Amino acid sequence: MKLKTETRWILTAGCIIGVISSLLVFFGNPANMGFCIACFLRDTSGALGLHSASAVQYIRPEIIGLVLGSFLLAMWRKEFSPRGGSAPVTRFMLGFFVMIGCLMFLGCPFRMILRLAGGDFNAILGFAGFAGGILTGVFFLNKGYTLKRTYKLSRTEGFAFPAIQVLFLILLVAAPAFIHFTASAGGPGGKHAAVFISLLAGLLVGALAQRTRLCMVGGIRDMILFRDSKLLFGFAAILLSALACNLILTATTAGVYFQPGFSGQPVAHTDGLWNFLGMYLTGFGCVLLGGCPLRQLVLSGEGNSDSAVTVLGLMVGAAFCHNFGLASSADGPTANGKIAVLIGIAAVCAIACLNTFRKEK
Amino acid sequence: MKYIATFYSHFGAIRYKKLCEGRNQEAQIMPVPRDLSSSCGTCVRYEGDLILPDAACHEEVEQIVQITQFGYETAYLAEEA
Repeated sequence: MKLKTETRWILTAGCIIGVISSLLVFFGNPANMGFCIACFLRDTSGALGLHSASAVQYIRPEIIGLVLGSFLLAMWRKEFSPRGGSAPVTRFMLGFFVMIGCLMFLGCPFRMILRLAGGDFNAILGFAGFAGGILTGVFFLNKGYTLKRTYKLSRTEGFAFPAIQVLFLILLVAAPAFIHFTASAGGPGGKHAAVFISLLAGLLVGALAQRTRLCMVGGIRDMILFRDSKLLFGFAAILLSALACNLILTATTAGVYFQPGFSGQPVAHTDGLWNFLGMYLTGFGCVLLGGCPLRQLVLSGEGNSDSAVTVLGLMVGAAFCHNFGLASSADGPTANGKIAVLIGIAAVCAIACLNTFRKEK
Repeated sequence: MKYIATFYSHFGAIRYKKLCEGRNQEAQIMPVPRDLSSSCGTCVRYEGDLILPDAACHEEVEQIVQITQFGYETAYLAEEA
């Protein structure tokens, strides 16, 4: 019975999240980017001056909302539990390389679903790579991969990351001169829903994801590891509800929210091999981290400082991608980006091997 | 008696499952039930006598609960959990 309740929760949450994601595009976010944890962390890095790509600089309220939504619900349900100390530097590095994979594909696993829901067939190759990466990660899990246990930390440590999000919100609203914002016609960073709408969407999705443990990696991982399809239902519910909402918006408004095909897709490129490899790196890294970028944000809201460190790794990775020309664009991947993804796959593989086969007793 | 053991890592679950099987108790690895934890880790569910963690997996076991008609009852809790 409990199992059915859990599945019902996940399906409901997935449907709501899919609709919210689609509506965020209607309210001003870039196309097929109602949510993209990688893109939004990249934009936030840019706003803070960690990179200088003027087209992608904006403190995204969705990120703030996701962390605070998870934090508030965890506090209310007495599930706020400050923990950490499980190989933080390794997690930072994994977060860094996951971002390189995401920005090769141009989206995190969450946006991969939203790109599929918008008719972007390039995301099918991304999905294949993502599943391949998860499969590789599961191989290491079954061979004994571990980053060792977490430890209980002080409540102050647990509050630190949500407090940083509050600071980001103040900086967003106050907009001091040292924070960089893309002009409204200056690129994806300039396209966004109103702050209040984005923040509310983030809070809702953060709370729902905390309640259901929704994770884009967890669905496929649990299916392979345990033949358990609960989280995969959430994945499917987001896809189907966002697709339905996109079709309705396309039929009832002047905008185009569903456009099937490979070419001419918004904030995407058509290089199948690198879409595949980018998401392969992302899937592989995320399994070793124990969750997708969305899940890392939600866990950081619950007081998990390892996940907070991972998010910092993602942000620094995003800054590197734009400072050194690693990120793809609509024109396709860059030579630097291809080299970085190959280095990333090798590095993640080395981390997996070292934490699987060379463990001190 | 039915028990669910939760862990700090997937690796701990694999070791504990082996411990159960070594004592001829059938054990199943599965995702942690949501009402037991907000973490998305792996748990081991088994029937029979309570099996306390041995030296090989002592560091990895977070808690062991007994499933009763009223819910979960803690049977073992790691010191720092």
